[in-house]
Amino acid sequence: MQGTTWRWIAILALALGVLVASGCGDDDDEGGGSAATTTAPAQEFAAGTTMARLQEAGEITIGVKYDVPPFGFKNPRSNAIEGFDIDIGKAIAADLGVRPKFIEAISDNRIPFLKDGTADLILSTMTINAERDEEIDFSEPYFIARGRILVKKTNNEINGVDDLAGKEVCTVLGSTYEETLKKQAPRAERRLVDTYSECLELVQNGAVDAESTDDVILTGHIIQDDSLKLVGEPLTTEPYGAGIKDGDKEFKEFVDGSIQKFKDDGRWARTYQKWIGRYTGEDQEPPTMTLQEAIDLSK
Amino acid sequence: MSSWIELLTENFDALASGFWVTCRLVVGSFLLAAIVGTFVAALRVAPSKWLQRAGGVYVETFRNIPLLVLLFIAYFGLRRAGLPINTWTAGISALGLYTAAYVAEVLRSGVFAVSRGQIEAALSLGFDQRETLRRIVLPQAMRTVISPLGSITIAMIKNSVIVGGAVAINDLLKESRIIASRTFETEAAFFWAAVGYLLLTVAATLAIRRLEHRYAIRR
Repeated sequence: MQGTTWRWIAILALALGVLVASGCGDDDDEGGGSAATTTAPAQEFAAGTTMARLQEAGEITIGVKYDVPPFGFKNPRSNAIEGFDIDIGKAIAADLGVRPKFIEAISDNRIPFLKDGTADLILSTMTINAERDEEIDFSEPYFIARGRILVKKTNNEINGVDDLAGKEVCTVLGSTYEETLKKQAPRAERRLVDTYSECLELVQNGAVDAESTDDVILTGHIIQDDSLKLVGEPLTTEPYGAGIKDGDKEFKEFVDGSIQKFKDDGRWARTYQKWIGRYTGEDQEPPTMTLQEAIDLSK
Repeated sequence: MSSWIELLTENFDALASGFWVTCRLVVGSFLLAAIVGTFVAALRVAPSKWLQRAGGVYVETFRNIPLLVLLFIAYFGLRRAGLPINTWTAGISALGLYTAAYVAEVLRSGVFAVSRGQIEAALSLGFDQRETLRRIVLPQAMRTVISPLGSITIAMIKNSVIVGGAVAINDLLKESRIIASRTFETEAAFFWAAVGYLLLTVAATLAIRRLEHRYAIRR
């Protein structure tokens, strides 16, 4: 015993050394895919507005999903963040003449991120509804999704929302489906996780019977794993809007204008084709629903 | 502050159910940790070298794998491998087996804290092996292990939030996050969650105090 004491002291010293070293090496590698084309400032803005502040900083921080193909996801090959939401974010940043910096904002923390200034803008498959509109401001709707149910192809028991009674259904904490399921399938057991990729895993390994969320997100799952299918009629209509800090009128107008331009000049249709139409074989027109209609829909 | 109390009264059922889930998780894991931990500690002080090694392998395995990874293995891994383990079994076994490794180490060090001289003295006074263990070694070992076991229990209560997050059990933290995401009253929701955890850790602390008092040396 006694002879090995020095070894233990050596190991202890080593462990301490490793701890100290790892504590120091805290490097920041956030914001992948921020190397976008920076055009010359398109517009001058009055001092004190969010736009002027962002131009001063030369950067806009946009909260997006990192695990929701085809809206916001990390490309495993290039490690860049890509998707429909990302392309809209890049367009808005280009109109401002600043660099977009993308950070991960999951459903549960995106509204706090806007409130505390961690993110300047949220583009993370966020459905416009009345409760959220009390907390933050929304842009006009830039996409319309529909709520659906996803099950394994081998599952013949669940063919619609009424079959969910007594079954376990996964959805994401802080998403609108928590309430939707409570209302439309009150006897289903809801399993709430942080991200859609966790839901996908739970459906794949059979821990839950079904997943319910927006059709485009579920289509993303089916692209990853074709042993899954969508069942039943759409449960809900989910208009997506960009999240803006509550009361920032000028910035909301700017974002609305930028999104309107994106819709009008054909970029929206091309982007839709690039991320969604390619897989579903359908074309789609940009949404014409207004923000007020979207809010009324949720009441 | 009044809105905080309102949040509590309006969401009391959800918070209470989360608290109850956390209690069951903690009690289940504690029992498992106590049983497995004692068994492993017994292996580590056993007279056979091979049994000692088996105990050592257990401790090093469960102490060196992060709890979250254990949970992923216990839940997602085993399910992928075709074993339909349920949420509670996976959660309790991961947290319980993880904590058991720490319990085993504390118990072992407690037994080793009783000096060899005392055992020799007891044996030479005519106590047999069993009596020496029961009357001399264990009462003294007990005194040294109570306080570290208390720390482990409190750490386990706090570690239970990792279980709730990983395997989608609606424990206290998860329920308060659900409330926070619905009402946007993040501070109040997490405040009540903190109060709930504090109730559990304070209860554990008081229980440990009592035990310490009972086994204290009267000088």
